[in-house]
Amino acid sequence: MSDTQTIAVATQATPRKQRGVPSFVYGLILPVTAAALYELAFRMGMVEARLLPAPSRIAETLLKLARSGELSVHIAATLMRIAFGFGLGAVTGVLLGVLTGSSITARRLLDPTLQALRAIPSLAWVPLFILWLGIFEPSKIALIAVGCFFPVYLGVMGSIANIDRKIVEVGRAFRLSRTALARRILLPAILPDTIVALRSGLGLGFMFVVAAEIMGASEGLGYLLVDGQQLGKPDQILASILCFAVLGKLSDWIIVIATRPLLTWQDSFARSE
Amino acid sequence: MLRLAHLNKVYANGACALDDVTIDIEAGEIVTLVGGSGCGKTTLLRLVSGLEHPTSGTVSVDGEAIFAPHPAIGMVFQEARLLPWLTVAQNIGFGLAHLPAGECKDLVEDALLKVGLAGYGTRWPRELSGGQAQRVSILRALVTKPKVLLMDEPFSALDALTRGSLQDHLLALWDAHRPTLVLVTHDVEEAAALADRAIVLQPRPGRVFADIRVELPRPRDRLSQDFAETKRIIMNALDGSLSQPALSKNNAGATAGSWW
Repeated sequence: MSDTQTIAVATQATPRKQRGVPSFVYGLILPVTAAALYELAFRMGMVEARLLPAPSRIAETLLKLARSGELSVHIAATLMRIAFGFGLGAVTGVLLGVLTGSSITARRLLDPTLQALRAIPSLAWVPLFILWLGIFEPSKIALIAVGCFFPVYLGVMGSIANIDRKIVEVGRAFRLSRTALARRILLPAILPDTIVALRSGLGLGFMFVVAAEIMGASEGLGYLLVDGQQLGKPDQILASILCFAVLGKLSDWIIVIATRPLLTWQDSFARSE
Repeated sequence: MLRLAHLNKVYANGACALDDVTIDIEAGEIVTLVGGSGCGKTTLLRLVSGLEHPTSGTVSVDGEAIFAPHPAIGMVFQEARLLPWLTVAQNIGFGLAHLPAGECKDLVEDALLKVGLAGYGTRWPRELSGGQAQRVSILRALVTKPKVLLMDEPFSALDALTRGSLQDHLLALWDAHRPTLVLVTHDVEEAAALADRAIVLQPRPGRVFADIRVELPRPRDRLSQDFAETKRIIMNALDGSLSQPALSKNNAGATAGSWW
C-alpha cells in the first residue's frame, strides 16, 4: 500500500522543476570541471601546455581578440555567411520539400535528381563554385546553402509523407477549402518535423562555413583557425573552436525558444530535451 | 428525409462492396447498421458522408443529392481523430470557424457541460482518456447542429463500461436536437440499446438482409426480458446474414464477379 503511494508521488513529481536548479547548470558541470582540472594540472606543472594551452591562456587570447575588435569582425563575417547560406538553403529546401511532398508528379520528376545530387559530397562542389562565383562571398554562401538544403528538403518532404491521412479526412469532412486545409491541418502537422529539419540544417551550415573559410578567407572564425595553425598559436585555434561551440549552441537554442510556443501541444517528454 | 437509393459500390480492384442498397430513413430516427466484417457497412456510411462516391445510385438529404461532404451531415469516426495541436475547446469548435469567437466559446462550453467534461476546454487531446476523446469527437460533429449524424463504430475501441456510459451520453445529446442518427456497429447489444431500426447487412456483396424495428421505450432497461428478446432477434438476423449464400436477388448475370 505504502509502496504504491510512493510510486504515485514520484511520478507526479518528476515532470516538475527539480528543486530550483535550472537545467542548463547540469550541462555545464562536465566542461567546467574538465577545464578546472586541466588548469590545476597546468598550474602544478604536471602537463606541458605548449600544444594544449591552459583554459586561462585561451581566455586571455579571446579577451585580447575581443579588445582589439578583431573577434567581432570574425564572428560577424562567419554569422553573415551562415545567415545568407542557411537562409537560401532552408527556403529552397522548404519550398522543394513541400512541392515534392504534396505532388506525386513533382516527386517523380524532381526527387531522383535531387537524391543523386545529395549523393555528391558537398565539398566536391567547391572547385566549381569558385570557378563560377569567384573566391569571395558568393561561392562560400553557395557551399553553405547546398549543405543546409538537403536535411531541410528531406525533413519537410518526409513530414508531409507522414501526415496522418485520417486527420486530413477530418478536414475534408468539415469541407475545408484547399488553402484552409493547408493552413489548419497540413501546416501544423508538419511543423514539428520541419523545425527539427531546420535545426539539423543549421548544424550543417556551421560545418560548411568552416570548410569554406579554411579554403580561403581573410576573415571569419574559420580564418582564425588556419591562421592559428600557420603561426603556431594553438590558443587561437581553441579560442575559435570555443566561439563555434557557443555560437552553434546559441543559434540552435534560438530556434528552439522561438518555436516553443508553436509546439506546446506536443508531449512534454519530447520537449524536455 | 435521408434517402439511399440503389447504391452500388465497386472498388477499383473489382471488389463489390455494396449491391443495390436502398434505405429510407425518417427525420430524427436512430438507425444502426449491423453486420459481419466485409458487409460494406463502413463503405455505406462513407458514401452517405460524401467522402466516397457510389459507383451508381444516389444519396439525398431532404431531396438534395449529396456528392461531397455537406453541412447538413456530421461524421464521427471510429477513432476520435482529434487534432493534437488544438485544445479540447478548439477541437470542438473546429467546424465553427465562421462564428464570432464569443458565440463559439459559449457553444463549446455548453457542449462540454452536457457530457460531463466541464473545465476540460483548455486541455490537450493527449491528456484525455479514450472515452473522453470520443466524447469530444462527438461534440465536434454535433455543435454545428447537423441534420444527420453518421457514426462509424464510435465505441468499438472502448471497454464495456465506458461504452455503456457513452451510449447514454449519446442518447442525451441526440435528444437535444433529434438529428437523424446512423450508427455502424458490430455489437448487437449496442444496436438494441440505441436503435429505432436495426438494419442487418449481409456480406459479399453488401446488401440489406433485414430491417428490424425496435419499439422499446427509452430509457431502455438492458436487463429486461424485452431487451433480451430484441437482442435475440437481431442476433438471429445477423447469423442468417452470415450463412446466406451470395445469391443474386433478381438476375443471374450480375453475379459475374462472384463465380469463384
